[in-house]
Amino acid sequence: MIGLSHYLLVAAALFCIGVYSVITKKNAIAVLMGIEFMLNAININLVAFNHFMAPSQVIGQVFAIFIIGVAAAEVSLGLAIILSLYRQRHLVAIDEMDILKW
Amino acid sequence: MIILFYLFSAILLAFALGTVISTNLIHSALLMMGSFFAVAGLYLLLQADYLAMVQILVYVGAIAILLVFGVMLTRKGSIEESNLPNRYKTIGLVTALGLFGLLARSITYTRFPSPPLESPPQNIIAIAQAFLLQYIVAFEALGILLLIAILGAILIGKEPK
Amino acid sequence: MNISAVSLELASLSLGLLTIILGLIFPSFRSKNTGGYLAIMGLISMLIGSLYLPASNTQTFINTFYVQDSLALFFKQLFIVVAIFVNAMSLRYLKPYTKNRGDYFALTFFALTGMMIMASAAEFITLYIGLELMTFTFVLLTTYKKQDLKSGEAGLKYLLLSAISSGVLLYGLSLIYGLTGKLDFSAISTVFSIGSVSPLLVWAIIMVLSGLGFKIALVPFHMWTPDVYEGAPTPITAFLAVGSKAAGFVAFIRVFFHVFAPFTSIFMPLLITLTVLTLLIGNLIALAQTHLKRFLAYSSIAHVGYILLGVIAYSKLGLSAILFYLMLYLFANIGAFAGVTALVINTGHDRISDLAGLWKCSPFLSVIFLISLLSLAGIPPTAGFIGKFYLFTEAIHQGYLWLAALALGLSLVAVYYYLMVIRTLLSGTSEETQPFIIPFSLRLVMIVSAAMTIGIGIWPGPFTDLALNIAQSFY
Repeated sequence: MIGLSHYLLVAAALFCIGVYSVITKKNAIAVLMGIEFMLNAININLVAFNHFMAPSQVIGQVFAIFIIGVAAAEVSLGLAIILSLYRQRHLVAIDEMDILKW
Repeated sequence: MIILFYLFSAILLAFALGTVISTNLIHSALLMMGSFFAVAGLYLLLQADYLAMVQILVYVGAIAILLVFGVMLTRKGSIEESNLPNRYKTIGLVTALGLFGLLARSITYTRFPSPPLESPPQNIIAIAQAFLLQYIVAFEALGILLLIAILGAILIGKEPK
Repeated sequence: MNISAVSLELASLSLGLLTIILGLIFPSFRSKNTGGYLAIMGLISMLIGSLYLPASNTQTFINTFYVQDSLALFFKQLFIVVAIFVNAMSLRYLKPYTKNRGDYFALTFFALTGMMIMASAAEFITLYIGLELMTFTFVLLTTYKKQDLKSGEAGLKYLLLSAISSGVLLYGLSLIYGLTGKLDFSAISTVFSIGSVSPLLVWAIIMVLSGLGFKIALVPFHMWTPDVYEGAPTPITAFLAVGSKAAGFVAFIRVFFHVFAPFTSIFMPLLITLTVLTLLIGNLIALAQTHLKRFLAYSSIAHVGYILLGVIAYSKLGLSAILFYLMLYLFANIGAFAGVTALVINTGHDRISDLAGLWKCSPFLSVIFLISLLSLAGIPPTAGFIGKFYLFTEAIHQGYLWLAALALGLSLVAVYYYLMVIRTLLSGTSEETQPFIIPFSLRLVMIVSAAMTIGIGIWPGPFTDLALNIAQSFY
């Protein structure tokens, strides 16, 4: 029988893949992909909790839809900035962005 | 049910790992698209059919495509080596594995109460009511947020004359 | 349904949309400062209007997910004041950087709306959306100096790091939802007050702490602050340093004083450790800065440490000390950043060494810097002294003598580095010989903020009463 903890484990694994990607990637677009994995993991968490713990209301699903909307806005803004940096300085790698020291 | 769960989870995690490991950013983007489909499959198993549709429409249809465009517009050097890791590879691996270990330990340790036997409400109707009644402020704010994203993409992306 | 609970948000939103639409109809509206004047007038009328809103009783909009209590109203008025100052500082500053000033003023309204939603949200989805609305607008405003290479880089760093931090925050929120089945604050705290502690709950608290800690620049989640503060247009740096931080604090107060109240034994040790780190890193790294905006960034991190003493005290007086400190922090920081803006307008640089000989070029600007920095350092005739005094005595009162002693010791270090900056300002010679030109709006901002800094310092009574009343009604 597949229970809540199975879904939570899959989500935790996906979240950690996202964290790994965020920490280790050079390319800003790959970092954005890592963030998307983290957000997807959170959504799986929310929907699973909604299904198993509190099915009488759809709060978890509603939260997930909000997160998807914010993620779409995030990617469009992020790509716009990445493109303009690419045009100005011809770079996409985060560790080459060193005018400001970290 | 059980077979489908393991199938979707395996596809999801395999594709996500592939996205991270691949050194070709185009391959990563395509693998990521596949993993988003698997997430939609998991939503279907959890009886969140509307959310599964939103997932495919927004994540696969918009976000992944946008990322592929981003990859192609910012090509620099060989595409074969466009997705290299930086020097924090070991730190990242240790952090991710450690975090997963701790989270997994906490999840298996926690006893969740057995699911209450309530019939779930009509999905789309309940979601629409939540959006337009309970969460109206957040809903309106999300609308403004998307407006700002459009405005911002135009303001930032416009070629300076 | 109670429209008066959202009246300020609606006003701010409509003014923002109006500014965009006017810019689309009249091209000259975007290239001139008309939008800025409209924004300032609109904000001032909002501030006056907000004084007539009922503050004594808690109002809700539709349901308890969105409340307007005296705490929310206080923060909203604080945000409006900051926005007025920021728009007035931007009028002349923006001229060399962009041809499109109209949309800039519109965006400040959207950032303001996001902060107001954060102040009123009594439920996590609304809080999150308000937070992202504020963050995205700030990302856009940060990248507004398109010719400056620093600006775009700062914007990307801010966007990526805040996206990661909100990912962590959301994971924590999903765990809270899983453990309680609810997302509104009062329902969660009802469940928590009878519930037991599980490992996932500890995770949730850690993740929420780090997600909100990012917004108030708590060490070790502060890495973005110096870079973004340096890269952003100077008025926006002031907006970030005061507005965004205050918005983070109101969420912090609601979540930690209310939702997590049964679990003080779990989060308090964590919070104390992070506060000590914040005080140490903020004050010690500020010593080594040569860049004025980075210096103010680290000093603002140190101030987060002082304010957190009030959270650690975890009492009514502690909360009122936080509110009082935020008021004086606003005026001192706005004064300092207005000074930096004037410096950038006249010299084009913002290093600390550029301040040398300022006393001879512009005594007025030097006096403003002097008052603001003395208040940030906490030296008696200014407001900073009284604010620190309240925070430290309340921490001692609740049994954190060692922490207050540490904070006091580090604020002596802080006095040293503020005095170093003041010494550069008063002595030395500069290449600049012609007198500084300070535009009228900027001069007004400086005079008001300096007057308030001195005024609160000499006559703190009404302000402490206000803070105490709000803390009383929140408890």
